[in-house]
Amino acid sequence: MKIRILLALVLGVFLSFPAWGMAAEKFPTKAIEVDVPFAAGGSTDVLARLVGKVAPKYFDKPLVVVNKPGGGGITGTESVVRSKPDGYTLYLGQGSGHDLVTPHFQKMPYDPFNDLIPICRLSVHSIVMIIRGDAPYKTLKEFIEWGKKKDQVTASVSTKAGSVDITFQAVGKATGLKIVTVPFRGGAEAVTSIVGGQTDCGGNHPSEIISHIKSKRLIPIAVALENRDSAIPDVPTFRELGYNVVAVGSVKGVAAPKGTPPEVISYLADRFKKVCDDPEFIKSMKDIGQPVMYQGPQDFSKYLKDGFVQFGQMIKEFNIKLE
Amino acid sequence: MSEILGMFQGLGNGFAIAFTLTNLTFAFIGAVLGTVVGILPGLGPSATISLLLPVSFKIGSPVTSIIMMAGIFYGAMYGGSTTSILVNIPGEAASVVTCIDGYQMARKGRAGPALGIAAIGSFIAGTIGVIGLTFVAPPLAEFALKFGPPEYFALTLLGLLMATMLGEGSIIKGLIMVVMGLLLGSVGLDPISGAIRFTWGLNMLQEGIDFVTLAMGMFGMGEIFINLEKAIKTELVTRKVDHLWPTLKDWADSKWAVIRGSFIGFFIGILPGGGAVISSLVSYAVEKRISKTPEEFGKGAIQGVAGPESANNAAASASFIPLLTLGIPGNAAIAMIFAALLIQGVQPGPFLITEKPDIFWGVVASMYIGNVMLLILNLPMVGLWVQLLRVPYSILAPIIVLFCCVGVYSLRNTVFDIYVMGIFGVIGYIMRKVRLDPGPMILAFVLGPILERAIRQALLISAGSPLIFFTRPISGTLMGFLILFILMQVFITLRRKKADRAS
Amino acid sequence: MRRTAIEKWDRVSGYVLLAIGVITAWSSTSLSMGKASRPGPGFLPFGLALILSILAIALILENRKKGESAAPFWPERTWLRPLLGVAIFLLYAFVLGILGFIPTTFLFLVVWMGAIERIRWFTLLTISIAVTAVLFFIFEYFLEVPLPAGFWS
Repeated sequence: MKIRILLALVLGVFLSFPAWGMAAEKFPTKAIEVDVPFAAGGSTDVLARLVGKVAPKYFDKPLVVVNKPGGGGITGTESVVRSKPDGYTLYLGQGSGHDLVTPHFQKMPYDPFNDLIPICRLSVHSIVMIIRGDAPYKTLKEFIEWGKKKDQVTASVSTKAGSVDITFQAVGKATGLKIVTVPFRGGAEAVTSIVGGQTDCGGNHPSEIISHIKSKRLIPIAVALENRDSAIPDVPTFRELGYNVVAVGSVKGVAAPKGTPPEVISYLADRFKKVCDDPEFIKSMKDIGQPVMYQGPQDFSKYLKDGFVQFGQMIKEFNIKLE
Repeated sequence: MSEILGMFQGLGNGFAIAFTLTNLTFAFIGAVLGTVVGILPGLGPSATISLLLPVSFKIGSPVTSIIMMAGIFYGAMYGGSTTSILVNIPGEAASVVTCIDGYQMARKGRAGPALGIAAIGSFIAGTIGVIGLTFVAPPLAEFALKFGPPEYFALTLLGLLMATMLGEGSIIKGLIMVVMGLLLGSVGLDPISGAIRFTWGLNMLQEGIDFVTLAMGMFGMGEIFINLEKAIKTELVTRKVDHLWPTLKDWADSKWAVIRGSFIGFFIGILPGGGAVISSLVSYAVEKRISKTPEEFGKGAIQGVAGPESANNAAASASFIPLLTLGIPGNAAIAMIFAALLIQGVQPGPFLITEKPDIFWGVVASMYIGNVMLLILNLPMVGLWVQLLRVPYSILAPIIVLFCCVGVYSLRNTVFDIYVMGIFGVIGYIMRKVRLDPGPMILAFVLGPILERAIRQALLISAGSPLIFFTRPISGTLMGFLILFILMQVFITLRRKKADRAS
Repeated sequence: MRRTAIEKWDRVSGYVLLAIGVITAWSSTSLSMGKASRPGPGFLPFGLALILSILAIALILENRKKGESAAPFWPERTWLRPLLGVAIFLLYAFVLGILGFIPTTFLFLVVWMGAIERIRWFTLLTISIAVTAVLFFIFEYFLEVPLPAGFWS
């Protein structure tokens, strides 16, 4: 009898060791590094820093934003993939062009779906087609009429073979316009170009053009999304206008490297959700044109896979090739 | 009329805001940080500003944060010329031109006047720049918007041409250097096609070669290696330092260079991406052309320092214009300030001046103050720097090497960059031995990618027709100017050859 | 007199540059050239490499006369100190990842000043310690740049 009790006690002690381990060092015990694989000042970077600003209210340790630009986003993401999966190195920006579009065209140095664990979705940067405020056309229909009479129509895009570029090639094929995409170095340069009238139209994310829309320098005429973007609710989708160009745009989520413990993932998902529910955060995000669209790990994971497939379908349907 | 009154009112308000103790303190902190960052190799103003972003949240007030960040930005412009003059290492691309005559002046014991005129010129130029910002910002910004790929192509081509003229020695060698610089600039990812060029599979080269690494290597390390040949045991500057400050004659020689440089820098510097570099080049070329003693250039002509230094500081002020009036950032550091504003709920753009006049005018006013602060900070330091040159070169050299190593390492936290810098150091050493001038090469390296992108974008827009460069008004004017310039050069060279043959 | 002395060097430079030009031109053919109205990534490098080769030939031709009495490239073993400098530098980069910043930097200063400049021990050590400390504090603490820590990380 006593031996059984003793055995049970000993067994109980052994079985509780993992809990001891966790209780002894509860995640997080130090600052968490959030890697943004884009240059400082860009829309993903601003999002990350806004999160970092609100985070201290909900995270036990600070979030430190580190920029690791390069290779169109691949360099920084790869560095997170190769980092220790202990939850202290996260990737913010999951769902961007290099995650959902590039794998259709190039071999990646890592597997974007299996080497990363999606934690949550923060926002969606849709792809909006914009024209100059003083252009002789005001809607997509008028633009197409105008464009059909010309040899070619130019569209400024942020990166070659990025999500915007591919989407615009699809728009070209869907509408019958010969669209020549002119790549620049990032969204800001592309916006400057269309504002200056160097190209006939442009493709950007709402956050990049919100102040120009307000000043009526730029008019958004269509958005490539399933449903309208809450950042620009008056802008119809391509589908509504009769063209089946639908993409998830550039999704912005948080991810951790494969192998990160599930408790850490759920802690992070939970805290990020709290950030996304914070009224100050919601308002700031709305002001900069990046509506808060939280999704938890499972939903986000599915969303990413669906988005990837959708881009693949668009590429196939419109026969888009990299030159 | 009422508009101008409104401006003065706004400016007055701005000064009231800028003169609060908090804002003055942060302006000072920014200026000091900026100067330090500008002097230290590697870390640039944009990296520093990004480090300070979390701090700016704690400050709470957007005006104060921008005042500090703006201070860092143009403080770095002041500091960048210091290393160019003292040790021939350009802090950023806009300071490369200062190295040419600045370093020669230092070698002749005239580091003091060089540093002094750089500081004074920078102050005057910065102030002219802010005055320009106050009064002509909106229309100028609109004009800048008209600069598309064809215009950038023409302008960069002009800059490149001037870079060829910089080097001493045969035209052939100058052209070779430019071509090499252009080739080096094409290493890495090509943004127009997405193809990766000349990286031989090395991931680290995918973003191309960094300017800092190249500059530290070719200029800094190359200079040290070649100086090792002569066992310089004593100071770098063996001639006695004659004056600490610029003499009245120096000032008389440079004052017009400063004015001209300020205007050149202001108008060209407003163009996003590369404006500061091109303006320093144009200023140098103009000064050399206008000078009564052009043979002095390259050997320590003070106008060769005064002009370009004024140009790059005026350009720094001007680069705020697209940000504050249109909401378009022109370079990496301004982009950081842009992000900082966004995060604090301020939308930079055409509405900034009407919706948040406090912020707009507060920042503008603090830029006036900032320039004064930087002048007061930098002038006394001239004495300090000149003392630094008295340190025996045998000790100074390894210290410079270390500063370069750590500076380069701080860019990407990888030793690879140190190796790359070393390789360029050896190349720079060899180049000096065979009398090939690295100046035009590094300028071509900076301008080349801009040029290539511009021409390919322009051809995409024009569906392949090269006429676009001539049919657009601004681009056409620039191209015309360019052709005239080349013809003039050819004419002058032919006439000189004829005169040589006759004598 | 000086002009004659370096003509041979210029000729050699010309040959080296020609080689660079030819190799670069050849390696840019693997990139797509596009057409003149729509240049591809290989267009500019190839064109530049061609121009470089032509300029290199011009350089060689410009210096083909005379040049027999060429100045020595490295008079009186002046190659020794630069070579030492380069070697110590490369060693520094190599050891940095192993020992970390502080020991490597200290050693670098000691070796450089000792081997190349032959400075007295006392001065050498004081300066090495001081500079290492200053550099460490400026970059690690003031600017918050994580310096290499070697195997002690």
